[in-house]
Amino acid sequence: MPHLLGLQGMPPDRLRSLLARARDLIPHAERARPPLDTRRGASVVNLFFEDSTRTRLSFTLAARRLGADVADLTAAGSSASKGETLLDTALTVRALGASGIVLRHAMSGAAIAAARALDALPGPPCAILNAGDGRHEHPTQGILDALTIAEAHARLPDFNLGGLRIAILGDVANSRVARSDIAALTALGASVVCVGPPGLCPPSLRSLGCDTSHDLDAVLPDVDAVQSLRIQMERSPALASVRDYAAGYQLDLARSARMKPGAVVLHPGPMNRGVEITGDVADGPRSRILRQVTLGVAVRMACLAECLAR
Amino acid sequence: MPPLLLRGGRVIDPASSLDRTADVAVDERGRIASVAPGLSPIPGAAVIDCAGLIVCPGLIDPHVHLREPGQEHKETIATGAAAAAAGGFTTVCCMPNTSPALDSAAMIEAVRARADAALRDASEAPESPGSPYAGRLAARVFAVGAVSKGRKGEELAEIALMARAGAVGFSDDGDCVMSAGLMSRALAAVAPTGRAVMQHCQDHTMTGASAMHAGPTAVRLGLVGWPSAAEEIIIERDLRLNRAIGSRYHLQHLSAAGAVDIVRRARREGQPVTAEASPHHLLLTDEACDNYNTAAKMNPPLRTGEDVAALIEGVRDGTVTILASDHAPHTPDEKALPFEAAPFGIVGLETALALYIEALITPGVIGWPRLLEMLTINPARLCGLDRCGIGSLAPGNPADITVIDPEVRWTIGEADLAGKCRNSPFLGRAARGRAVMTFIGGEPLLRAPGLDRRR
Repeated sequence: MPHLLGLQGMPPDRLRSLLARARDLIPHAERARPPLDTRRGASVVNLFFEDSTRTRLSFTLAARRLGADVADLTAAGSSASKGETLLDTALTVRALGASGIVLRHAMSGAAIAAARALDALPGPPCAILNAGDGRHEHPTQGILDALTIAEAHARLPDFNLGGLRIAILGDVANSRVARSDIAALTALGASVVCVGPPGLCPPSLRSLGCDTSHDLDAVLPDVDAVQSLRIQMERSPALASVRDYAAGYQLDLARSARMKPGAVVLHPGPMNRGVEITGDVADGPRSRILRQVTLGVAVRMACLAECLAR
Repeated sequence: MPPLLLRGGRVIDPASSLDRTADVAVDERGRIASVAPGLSPIPGAAVIDCAGLIVCPGLIDPHVHLREPGQEHKETIATGAAAAAAGGFTTVCCMPNTSPALDSAAMIEAVRARADAALRDASEAPESPGSPYAGRLAARVFAVGAVSKGRKGEELAEIALMARAGAVGFSDDGDCVMSAGLMSRALAAVAPTGRAVMQHCQDHTMTGASAMHAGPTAVRLGLVGWPSAAEEIIIERDLRLNRAIGSRYHLQHLSAAGAVDIVRRARREGQPVTAEASPHHLLLTDEACDNYNTAAKMNPPLRTGEDVAALIEGVRDGTVTILASDHAPHTPDEKALPFEAAPFGIVGLETALALYIEALITPGVIGWPRLLEMLTINPARLCGLDRCGIGSLAPGNPADITVIDPEVRWTIGEADLAGKCRNSPFLGRAARGRAVMTFIGGEPLLRAPGLDRRR
């Protein structure tokens, strides 16, 4: 039973197979084709210890379009408030009959710890799908970002992103999306540069296999895509103020105009309009932000189909 | 108590610079009678052949966590003393981060009473044939008192009263004494007791949510890093404070190369500073935390290969003069939590000696006399135990003796861990050398597995 815990170190074959499966499911995600029922009888439980809009809904709709049942548990209404540990909750949910657990948690490594707890004790097959663990990984986001960029640059046949340069902009140090993006994009052959102020984008990030820069205006003319991250005030003590950040790093119309023809803008959401990105860029012709959301359903269908036992 | 003769071992007593093949005679009062070659046994003495073994003063670990009172599910004074004996230690000093903290004379006396009872019970207990250890496991336990009331880092604890009650040092270990003002008062209060302030060096304003060393592994795992500078600047600050006071000042569990440099400089200037290193910091790097391995989560964290090399050089050149396990038991449930939620620390008493041998003796960094100096007389002096005859084999001293087989090969396994917890990153590691016997006041305690077969 495979879990989906992260993209760092994922075998390239598995990544490409998930991408190909997602590509083929795009018509179902777009509702151009009817839902499937290939996972009828499977039960997916969304276990969200942190808030989410798109990821939770995306997983829910993806599961339903595979014919699976979905149930939701959030930290506020769960026994977590009575002190039950994440691991006991995961074991309990499996015992209730879940065949997949979509887990979001504020701690890095939470999904791996949950998967270890399930694997350590006998029980029916039950996959952990990491929907974001602290600052570590958000693998379905990384896959959907790679799929969006591949589609925008006509690389869907083989997902070879060689020759593309992609900027990840903002609070990279505290971003699980960035870690999954860097792993996926570099595995597919793209070169990645992380851009932001030193406190949010320290040179130590280079150990992830990317470049770093503190000069957005120098980077923008060379890139084929910009992934603008959300500024996370709750996780970014290094940030003096939003205005201080925006002066150097806001993706606005003037900066967007200096990008290459064909270069696209992404954002994993939720956006702070007027902070890391202005509304005219978010809604402008380069924006693939809503396309990311749609493709996200296809990616989650692919991941659930892979992980849920038949 | 019958007299004792340990015959023909390599006797190493660093306090008297002795290193030769000799016999050690123990009288019926449990005191060292004489150390010399070719001794005749006192009539009625038990004679133990120690050929091929090292006979030395009982090993001392000045930095362990025994969890009593408050967390007896992890360890107690009795089970921690058993872990100590299994590793060849006859004396350990327990840190005050218990619940409640050891921050008053009454608490220090309570620990002493529990320790005395544990030693007495072990001496009187029958040998348990089912145990992997044939002997009875116990050790002397002394308490380190807290620097501040409740270890809160605010008000000075009653240092002088605790010293009179038997506290062998003062530390808020687990937490750094962050306030420069409080540290200054602590140094001044501790100075006249002759004990040392033992500092856990960590600027908490720099390490808030950190879980491991700030390096590539932390970046990859998305964990907040604990930079070496947070250790170094506290040492610099405290040394500056202590210049005008001149108290004895001891650095616990050094982990960073820069910290070794600072201590080296201060010792060259003649400042009254000592430093300790732990087995894990001499052998492991932050890469051991990969894949969220909570068995390698400790504070201060495992750092880089350069830091390991600097610590080893610090041992070689005499900057680091004391070794300490920082024995820190935690339950499997706690260590199974997500890395950020799992507690810091590993057990160490049972494995420390073999790991020191691996890190320092096998590669030829230092020889046995230096290693044993760092495990006997140096920690004894740090804690003032030399004044009651602990840490050396001088005639008249209590016969606290450890006998070591320096060559025996073994694999570290759960059965070798005699305390309550199993949280070690070294399980499964091939080891060379271990303690095979301990004596406290001439009373035989540890007799390691296989000893009877070997002789």
